[in-house]
Amino acid sequence: MAEINRHILGSYDAAISGLQNDLLMMASLCERNLRNSLGCLLNRDEDLCNVTIADDEEIDQLEKQMDKNGIDLLRRFQPVASDLRHVVAAMKLSSNLERIADQAVNIARKARKLNRAPLLPEVNFLDPMYREVTLMLSDVLRGYTESNIDLAISIPARDKKLDAMSHEITEILTVQMVKFPERITEYLDLIFIARHLERAGDHVKNIAEDVVYAIAAEDIRHMGDQRPGSAADLLGERAGEGLGLPVSDTLPS
Amino acid sequence: MERTQEFVPKPATPPVSAAEAAAAPAPAAQRNAFEIAELSVWYGQKRAVQDLTLNIPERTITAIIGPSGCGKSTMLRCLNRMHELVPRSRMTGSIRFFGEDLYASRIDPAVVRRRIGMVFQKSNPFPTMSIAENVTVGLRLNGITNRAYLRARMEESLRMAALWDEVKDDLGKPGVSLSGGQQQRLCIARAIAPKPEVLLMDEPASALDPIATMKVEELIQQLSRDYTIVIVTHNMQQASRVSNKAAFLYLGRLIEYSNTDQLFTRPREKQTEDYISGRFG
Repeated sequence: MAEINRHILGSYDAAISGLQNDLLMMASLCERNLRNSLGCLLNRDEDLCNVTIADDEEIDQLEKQMDKNGIDLLRRFQPVASDLRHVVAAMKLSSNLERIADQAVNIARKARKLNRAPLLPEVNFLDPMYREVTLMLSDVLRGYTESNIDLAISIPARDKKLDAMSHEITEILTVQMVKFPERITEYLDLIFIARHLERAGDHVKNIAEDVVYAIAAEDIRHMGDQRPGSAADLLGERAGEGLGLPVSDTLPS
Repeated sequence: MERTQEFVPKPATPPVSAAEAAAAPAPAAQRNAFEIAELSVWYGQKRAVQDLTLNIPERTITAIIGPSGCGKSTMLRCLNRMHELVPRSRMTGSIRFFGEDLYASRIDPAVVRRRIGMVFQKSNPFPTMSIAENVTVGLRLNGITNRAYLRARMEESLRMAALWDEVKDDLGKPGVSLSGGQQQRLCIARAIAPKPEVLLMDEPASALDPIATMKVEELIQQLSRDYTIVIVTHNMQQASRVSNKAAFLYLGRLIEYSNTDQLFTRPREKQTEDYISGRFG
């Protein structure tokens, strides 16, 4: 996180950093759960499936805590400018993180079921999607913590690629279902897993849009082909102005 | 030199009938009530405002924010030549009011103050006058003696100030018998009674309780349909709630001036960000 000037009210700083810490904790648990759901499937690890499903409870509780702390912060300090954007973004991020964790649980449940049947070699088709979505998630979180607009802004295009991968896998598995109708249930589960990964990617994209808003105060949602491809596209002359949380060296102490 | 009473063209009266409305030309683009250029103000050796340049559009609410001593009130007082009443004050630069030089030698400051009304931080009803007399004093000082007109204008002003229902049965009581919030609304009624085009408000709600503050804020919103309002406030939430445009002053300089929603969500200047988010000082 970019260095910030302290607020005159120490409790304001404490409330904001508490919110950020909860968000980062939630993000790391969410990343772990998504990674674990891959292990559930590829390693046919039933224990890991159960752990992934159980760990979701902690993320749910953190989401509720973040909502409460965010509302308390809005009530107590009435933040404005970048503080306001970061508080609102943190609350929206937590909601999307919780839903990514839900997708991990869905995958773990499907994996637990698949692991009880003979191995399908097509399971490995999902590996590139997994790698992409987990990388997207870690990149967007890095973009948030480092105030890196370029990283966040790269996510929507990568989400489109993820959608294309999901579509391609679905087509392949549909062909396999015709060839091996006795495994139709398992193939359907694999298609659902691809769909869950695609949905996780959509949430990562939502996070990226909120991160761009928090950092640069620009709304890049629903822009279609007009969506900027880089910080320079987005900000024009404002690019390189040292965006992110404010640091002033011009004020008297 | 003869001083003029009508140094600024009054805004056109809106058409009243549907036929007139249909025949009327399209409304003109919004004009600037004030065009301030390179304004500097000194009190003795101390320069309170430095090279301030900004335009204030008509029929908007413009909030002036900044820490104590940054020149907010001085700037506000320059807009109706009130600062001239301070000994050893002087000013350079220009202020145009609807295109007319406010400081031209032919302009009578008393007329300026009739056309550009002011409400102060502390309510200051005239203690020896009744509620009704407080509202009409400006009109009477301007030579209006028609009782029916004074009565009608008094009621209209008190209604606009959202005070009529509370005082209509006590119009003869002293103005100072009202509560603090009522006194401030009485002062607003007094300020709008002579039908100024502009209302300057210097922290008009800083001494009021939350309910009275909300009433004053609601009143400011209502008045902005007909008046240009410039308000100095230390309350960031109030500036954010009521104003259309906001200016941040620091050490006598204009740091940032933009639409209020932009200034409070994505200020361009770090000094503005630091001040409004409480990282200042």
